[in-house]
Amino acid sequence: MAIFNLKKLLLRKDIINLIDMLTGAMGVNICIKDNAGTMLYGTSGSNPACLPITADSQSIGWIYGQDSGKIAAAASLLNYIVGTETQKKALAAETLNKYGELTMLYDFVEKVNAFNVKEIADFLIKHVSEQIRADNVSVMLSDEITGMLKLIAESGIVGAPMTEVGIAGIVMSSGKAEIINDCRSDPRCAMETGSVSSLICSPVKTKEKALGIVIASTIEPYNYTADDLNFFCTLVSQAAFAMDNARLYESLKEAFIKTVHTLAETIEKRDPYTGGHTKRVMNYSIAIAENLGISAGDKERLELASVLHDIGKIGVSDNVLRKTSKLTDEEFEEIKTHTTCGRDILSYIEELKGIIPGVKSHHERFDGRGYPDKLKGLEIDLIARIIAVADTFDAMTSDRPYRKGLPFDTALEEVRKCSGTQFDPKVVDAFFEAVGNNKINLENQEK
Amino acid sequence: MPAILIADDEQHIRMLIEQTLESLEDEGVDILTAQNGAEALEIIKEKRPELVFLDVMMPKMNGFDVCNAVKNELGMKEVYIIMLTAKGQEFDKEKGAESGCDLYITKPFSPKELKNKAREILGL
Repeated sequence: MAIFNLKKLLLRKDIINLIDMLTGAMGVNICIKDNAGTMLYGTSGSNPACLPITADSQSIGWIYGQDSGKIAAAASLLNYIVGTETQKKALAAETLNKYGELTMLYDFVEKVNAFNVKEIADFLIKHVSEQIRADNVSVMLSDEITGMLKLIAESGIVGAPMTEVGIAGIVMSSGKAEIINDCRSDPRCAMETGSVSSLICSPVKTKEKALGIVIASTIEPYNYTADDLNFFCTLVSQAAFAMDNARLYESLKEAFIKTVHTLAETIEKRDPYTGGHTKRVMNYSIAIAENLGISAGDKERLELASVLHDIGKIGVSDNVLRKTSKLTDEEFEEIKTHTTCGRDILSYIEELKGIIPGVKSHHERFDGRGYPDKLKGLEIDLIARIIAVADTFDAMTSDRPYRKGLPFDTALEEVRKCSGTQFDPKVVDAFFEAVGNNKINLENQEK
Repeated sequence: MPAILIADDEQHIRMLIEQTLESLEDEGVDILTAQNGAEALEIIKEKRPELVFLDVMMPKMNGFDVCNAVKNELGMKEVYIIMLTAKGQEFDKEKGAESGCDLYITKPFSPKELKNKAREILGL
């Protein structure tokens, strides 16, 4: 705690008035100096008697006067004021500390729900480190399949290796947070402390289950208090609910994506000659996108759109879809409807509306001679421009009952030739970059 | 000696900010307080603090008016003024810009950030 500021106190008008009045009424002259001898009140004269002014039983200055009897009253008044001011300061410091915690908690609660599990763990660590003394903060969650604790995120220096046996396991199964200020002599963590001296450990739990633990630890011995534990647990419990929500959301999303893949596969089974086509188009599309620096959201849309790009073929009759000889104009018109039919089907699913442009426009051409809307250049959704390259490349390299697939190099040459006419040159460049990185090849692909 | 003025009509906010900045006193910074806008303006004129925390809603002259008087009427552009505004109460950015305030911070504030900001502005 800071040393009491006597000088500041004696600059206050109300205090000066009080001393003036008291000494005036008593008819004495006093002066007050700090420990260094600097005059803070009054003027020096012949003042042989002196008494100390103390804060927290430490001398912070001296009061001088003619005789000690007379200055005793002034001294005890000043000591009383200093005493109450000291208490006020202590209260203010504690209030500020709580205010800081509360502000942080507001901030934490407001933002924590927007993140995925890893981000929540990082966010939690950042906030814990700001308020609680720790050399390492680690978030460990139990793996949903194996049940083993896995390190999700940590900060600072490398922490003690924690396993299911020892303190982590104890906290996990009891569901109760613990402070261990002397790890070396505590049997609960004797096995695993490494260089850690003191730690605070809280379970990450929701109503139903414990998801994992969070540990803050120090290398030098440190005295964690009940206050630290309280704040730590409050943050962790907020994070726990957010993590549980994030996990649920992630598993829901996974189920959704699996459903989409199943749907695409079901459609594909109608056309026995194109086995594995959607999977390959998805792989090629993702490989191209890696070199285009698209956002995470666009990447997600691309994955779904590339899987579902031919979903509209459900509306094309079998005899046209499976026809192995040349299509008549009329039949070709029917094939073309799979783009708009795809749009119609997807428009029923709220979560898939975002991929409609990618699906509907994957047969548009960069020069505006494609279908169904004759869109041109950048009017065509980027996702559709990517799928167009991936789709055409796969169609060229796949065998059909009436023709053999083109050799890899010939197909590459075709793609190159169509850059700027059928395809967006930027996407073609990204395609060749992927080819160069061996991300697009004819091996390792499902047939 | 550099000085900071804290102007807020709520005593507990003055106390909290004062406590937040207490350690700067050891580095020679003077911390002044004012309970309303008029008092704040007087102190700014007299003591010329480097940094002022100015509550928006204050009796006898609100924060915008004080800021406007300091920055535009008195031309004391060098005084760095941070407006304090309550959370949920939308800060009028247009008025803020017109009055010439340098920054605004919402209450409840983060003590750590507030102190760092003060240190940065005073060049400590």
